[in-house]
Amino acid sequence: MEIELIEIRDFLSAHHPFNQLPEPAINQVPALLQVRYFRRGSIIPDAGSIDDYLYLVRSGAVEIHGTQDELLARLGEGDLFGYRASHMEGHAEFQGTAMEDSLVYLLPAAEVDRLCKEQPQFSYFFEPAGGGRLRDAISNTGEDGSSHLGLMTTQIGDMISRAPISMPPDASIRDTATVMSDERVSSIMITEGEQLVGIVTDRDLRRRVVAKGLDTSLPISHIMTTDPHTLEANNYAFEAMLHMARNNFHHLPILRQGKVAGMLTATDFAERHTTSAVYLVSSVYKQHEVQGLAAISGRIPQLLQNLAAADATANSIGHVITAVVDAITVRLLQLAEERFGPPPVPYAWVAAGSQARSEQTAKSDQDNCLVMDDAYDSRAHGEYFKALAGFVCDGLNACGYIYCPGEMMAVTDKWRQPLAGWKRYFNHWIEQPEPKALMLTCVFFDLRCIHGEKNLFRQLREYLLAKTRGNQIFLAYMAGNALSFKPPLGFFRNFVLISGGEHDHTFDLKHNGIVPIVDLARVYALAAGSHAINTQDRLKEVASGGEVSHGGAHDLRDALEFVSSLRIRHQARQIKAGEAPNHYMSPDDLSHFERSHLKDAFSVVRTMQSVLSQRYLR
Amino acid sequence: MSIWKYLFNLEERRNWWTRKMPDGPLRDYYETPFPDRDIDWRQADYLAIDFETTGLEASQDQILSVGYATVRGDRLVLGDATHILIRPTVDIPEASAVVHGILDDEAAEAQPLEEVLPVILRALKGKALLAHHAAIEYEFLNHACRNLYGYPFLCPVVDTLALEVRQFRMRDQAIRSGDLRLAKARARYGLPRYPAHNALTDALAAGELFLAQVAYRSSRKPPRLKDLIVVS
Repeated sequence: MEIELIEIRDFLSAHHPFNQLPEPAINQVPALLQVRYFRRGSIIPDAGSIDDYLYLVRSGAVEIHGTQDELLARLGEGDLFGYRASHMEGHAEFQGTAMEDSLVYLLPAAEVDRLCKEQPQFSYFFEPAGGGRLRDAISNTGEDGSSHLGLMTTQIGDMISRAPISMPPDASIRDTATVMSDERVSSIMITEGEQLVGIVTDRDLRRRVVAKGLDTSLPISHIMTTDPHTLEANNYAFEAMLHMARNNFHHLPILRQGKVAGMLTATDFAERHTTSAVYLVSSVYKQHEVQGLAAISGRIPQLLQNLAAADATANSIGHVITAVVDAITVRLLQLAEERFGPPPVPYAWVAAGSQARSEQTAKSDQDNCLVMDDAYDSRAHGEYFKALAGFVCDGLNACGYIYCPGEMMAVTDKWRQPLAGWKRYFNHWIEQPEPKALMLTCVFFDLRCIHGEKNLFRQLREYLLAKTRGNQIFLAYMAGNALSFKPPLGFFRNFVLISGGEHDHTFDLKHNGIVPIVDLARVYALAAGSHAINTQDRLKEVASGGEVSHGGAHDLRDALEFVSSLRIRHQARQIKAGEAPNHYMSPDDLSHFERSHLKDAFSVVRTMQSVLSQRYLR
Repeated sequence: MSIWKYLFNLEERRNWWTRKMPDGPLRDYYETPFPDRDIDWRQADYLAIDFETTGLEASQDQILSVGYATVRGDRLVLGDATHILIRPTVDIPEASAVVHGILDDEAAEAQPLEEVLPVILRALKGKALLAHHAAIEYEFLNHACRNLYGYPFLCPVVDTLALEVRQFRMRDQAIRSGDLRLAKARARYGLPRYPAHNALTDALAAGELFLAQVAYRSSRKPPRLKDLIVVS
């Protein structure tokens, strides 16, 4: 009869670790549950100990606090706390608070114990080494997470990059070898239906077939290794690595609920390391051809995915990804100088826009310009710098940093100027601002020197900041520009979504979420004459200068981090699904908790935009 | 709603019927006292219940399925959650099949009402009946008991729809059409959306709504059972 509680069963089977339970076991769970409703602000539990039950949030949001009232976790739909789920070193006592009206399922402690005893996959979730939800949730306290890009937090299932390659046991040895070489795999699983019966590796073909002169028309079952070791997809990567090292395996079949999920190979671990930023950057400098650099930049989506999986902050991910682009740019310039000879006059290669701000993600185009020494003579030196800029911009394009649609690139003649020329440009933009021109050139107010004569760049920066600092007329134009993108929030705090077209029922996280904050920070920084370029740095710096209130700057930084991390996670999901990453997100893909935080973030932006407009546009 | 006038002195009426009635499922049901009207609401047990029927008239329509689960203390207990299909004695009208999705073939496999009614009465023993627009469930049960046993059905009743009306009146809010429907009422309390028109899902939905409504009562003191049951 309890199978009738199908709605609840379906909810359970959509959430970890209940989705690890086999069908008959999960069907029995709903009948073990109690349902409680906690009004916003109520304490959980209201009686007894938190260890009496395992709590599963069905709807609403719950915060977990420790004995010192410190925030340990923010939980939303599908998250667990209470018995076994909250056991962490140094945090013996917990208390939950409903942050929204919440419907919560309670599983009595005795039933949790029984399930753990009977279902090892289920119990693994609760073991200290397994981590648990709470630990993941705590990582949103904003610490730099890039250091633990690690095997401890990654499940094997997330490392398997391709669908399993398999053959039936009665296939011939020759056919199996053909499939292996077509698929470029060094091992293959032998399956009967969805049941794994054996594996065959390159080595087996060498030792058991070629060396013995075996007839290749024999069935593959003849030479396969039967009953191979396997691991479940929800085991953690470090376990698999230990397992393989201990047994000297190079190939390990991975199952998901008893069915073949894929093959984990020793190479997968090597690949994981090679996508670390340090490796990427160091290998950039070993490349002598553009193709080699393009191959490296091709790994950036994987890098982004790993960083997102390791719960690195959006700000640190931006820095890491940008570091790779910087390295590629420098390497291209070195190769150009090798090809065209040393520069006839000193120059500075300057990045603009998101690269300058160290805020690149998986999908970025190039914005850059070239500042030459005033000894530059277009007749004598023009060809050299044109060729240099062409080589670098083409190289970046080949690496996936596509040509800027607005042509804000050093390859455009206009943006390849001696220092005096650049000063003239900025003088014009700042003293005689025109709204339309500013919209296009505002990327040039975010500049960072990537390579060459840093002093040239410094002189330009001092020149322009001296002009913008406290310049009310110019700042009013910039403020007007900063208000051109609004957060997608309606009158009643509902989301305003794109309607129709390719991105129906989504909002644009970049233009309506991130760009408005970047634009606000730029106005503050120019008003204060601040050297900071990165948006977080700008907000941090201007908060002490009085351009914006401490609270306002702090809220904006939180909002930027939250929206950026949503975008990164969204893009990581798309990359994993083999889609091209974009900025369009549907509110349906957000948990209740994320939705409400996103609305808060958008409200902050809306408030700060109206403060800015009060200040400069009245 | 003439039926509710019987509810005065409910306990006395129960005693009276118990003395009068021959042995059988209804008498067994009446032997357990109703929960005391004066106790803290958390000390009472409730049976959240829902029927799918061929129509809304207890005198001519039939019950097709019943779903129920117990609310005990401040929680909905899913352990005894039950869903039973009931075999109708007439063909299912198409208009109602569209709503609840129960078809003639399925219903033919089901148990007859005379087998299911004792099960329902056993589950209801000593509890208050809890439903959204409870008059329907009450009338159908009353009708079934009169038909099968010759005596009326009595039970303290908590109606989440009536509680919702009270909320609107207390806040002096106008009730617009659709406001009192189960899904709409649940949405006001931040409860998740369920697929409608399965008797058990609707019973659970009503049970959860009840917990939310009590949590939202403005008074500091926990209400007593009599504050929640239908009185008029």
